Amino acid sequence: MIEIKNVTKSFGKLKAVDSASFRVEKGEAVSLLGSNGAGKSTLIKCILGLLDYTGDITVGGLRVKERPKEAKSLIGYLPQEPLFYDMRTLDIVRFFARLRKADEGRPAEVLDKVGLAEHSSKYASELSGGMRQRLSFAIALLSEPMFLILDEPTSNLDAHARAEFLRLIKDYKENGKTVIFSSHRLDEVDYLADRAVLMKDGRVVMDEEPHALRRKLGLGTKMNIAVPDEYVTMAASALSSAGIIVHGKNGRGFLVEVKGGDSLHPLRELMSMDIPVLGFSVEEPTMENILEGAARDGN
Amino acid sequence: MEIRNILILAGKETRESLKNRWFVLYTVSFCVLAVLILSIAPGRSEIAGISGYGRTAASLINLVLLFVPLIALITGSISISGERENGTLQYLLSHPVTKAEVFVGKFLGILVPICFSISLGFGLAGIGVALRGGSGDAPEFVLTALLSGLLAASLLSVGLVVSVFSKRASKAIGVAVFLWLFFIVLGDLGIMGTAVAMDLGIRQVFALALLNPAEVFKIASVLVLSPRFEILGPVGVYAVRTFGREGVIFILLSVMALWTIIPFAYAFITFSILRREES
Repeated sequence: MIEIKNVTKSFGKLKAVDSASFRVEKGEAVSLLGSNGAGKSTLIKCILGLLDYTGDITVGGLRVKERPKEAKSLIGYLPQEPLFYDMRTLDIVRFFARLRKADEGRPAEVLDKVGLAEHSSKYASELSGGMRQRLSFAIALLSEPMFLILDEPTSNLDAHARAEFLRLIKDYKENGKTVIFSSHRLDEVDYLADRAVLMKDGRVVMDEEPHALRRKLGLGTKMNIAVPDEYVTMAASALSSAGIIVHGKNGRGFLVEVKGGDSLHPLRELMSMDIPVLGFSVEEPTMENILEGAARDGN
Repeated sequence: MEIRNILILAGKETRESLKNRWFVLYTVSFCVLAVLILSIAPGRSEIAGISGYGRTAASLINLVLLFVPLIALITGSISISGERENGTLQYLLSHPVTKAEVFVGKFLGILVPICFSISLGFGLAGIGVALRGGSGDAPEFVLTALLSGLLAASLLSVGLVVSVFSKRASKAIGVAVFLWLFFIVLGDLGIMGTAVAMDLGIRQVFALALLNPAEVFKIASVLVLSPRFEILGPVGVYAVRTFGREGVIFILLSVMALWTIIPFAYAFITFSILRREES
């Protein structure tokens, strides 16, 4: 378990983290959700003992202030921007494996697990952004840590690399490990997290399960659905009758909003009425939408 | 502090130094010049009471004074500041290592390759002397090489002080080059100038010389190599007459050790205890 009690971190007059408190149970995946500057990365650095703070943090029962080295040995960390020494991929992993007292065969094993085995002789500088992220993930997995802490793990990845990377984290989580990850994307939270801790101006303003967070903040998924011209009116009225908010027609389709996270609901409705769907796209709520929702909710 | 972690970190630092093209260039230049000095030195004659290995070591002193402080100061100054600037220091510290282990690992990991290149330069020169049939002063030759290692350790410590206080490697290099100029080029001039301007006595001039590790190395090396301490001038004569040859060497070695220990401790305490954060 990771427990954060009343943690405050100031840089001069700026309170980057302000009296943050929450706990992460064993086997849970918790997302730190917030816009840039919300205090997510600073809080992660406090958990890792990289920054001084007031308050208390315990990792697996160890107080970070008293036993930072032991606490760090329980954590696999993936920074927002992985930075490596100018060494070959396998040598980098071997170096950190020795520091983390991992078995001798573990470097090759983790590189294989993240799909970098064939790139092990390349220098880190020769790897793409996605590969570097995977390399960092491999290093985080070296000592099979109890806790995995990921700081915006997909922020620098393209769509394909992002999907691949999220799958890797999901696999890890499904093995019963504890994961804390920061993000400003609600779709990642839905996909991975059991709980979302919403941070704003350094404070924890909400700590809920993702669907409860959506419900409380009135967040809906917007969907552009394209249907043949002759079906547009019929489809719009069918969806309205099914309780789906139709925002308006646009081109060959219309924009609808789905509450509660069941994005397929409008598609099922249309298919049940034999209305052909030519295509669709999904727009997740942005961080601004989330924070607006939190403000409306009184946070 | 775990010795195991220190050795792992030192090993990584050493491997990186040995791959560094500047370090390779430095080592090659030092070795080439050492051999060159040997080849242009006169055959079997004796100069200032020094012959064979001793004379070669004496010739190498100026080479050491030029190269060793420069590489020790620069590599020391960028060791922490460089990693801090490119973000790898914070990533390293997110693993189960302490700042104290990182610091000691860096010190050893840089010192070992510098000592390696000193050994290589002296070794090649030594082989050259042996091939030319030179003999005598072999212990003094080895002692001069050891003194060079001590000079490297002291200026590496000074370089680490610079590194601990610098956020950018470029700024750290600038300060390191200034210190090199100060210790090596301006050192003698500074002592002479201060002595004249302030009308210092010989005792004060000797004390002033002790404030410069390069000067201390120079005096110690000459005393080790030559029985004729007069070649050090009036200050050397004063020092030897006051403290005895062994006494002066002991003082000089102690001062060099202090030049290693004090900056090392200052940088160590600042980096690992006072500045706990690497944000």
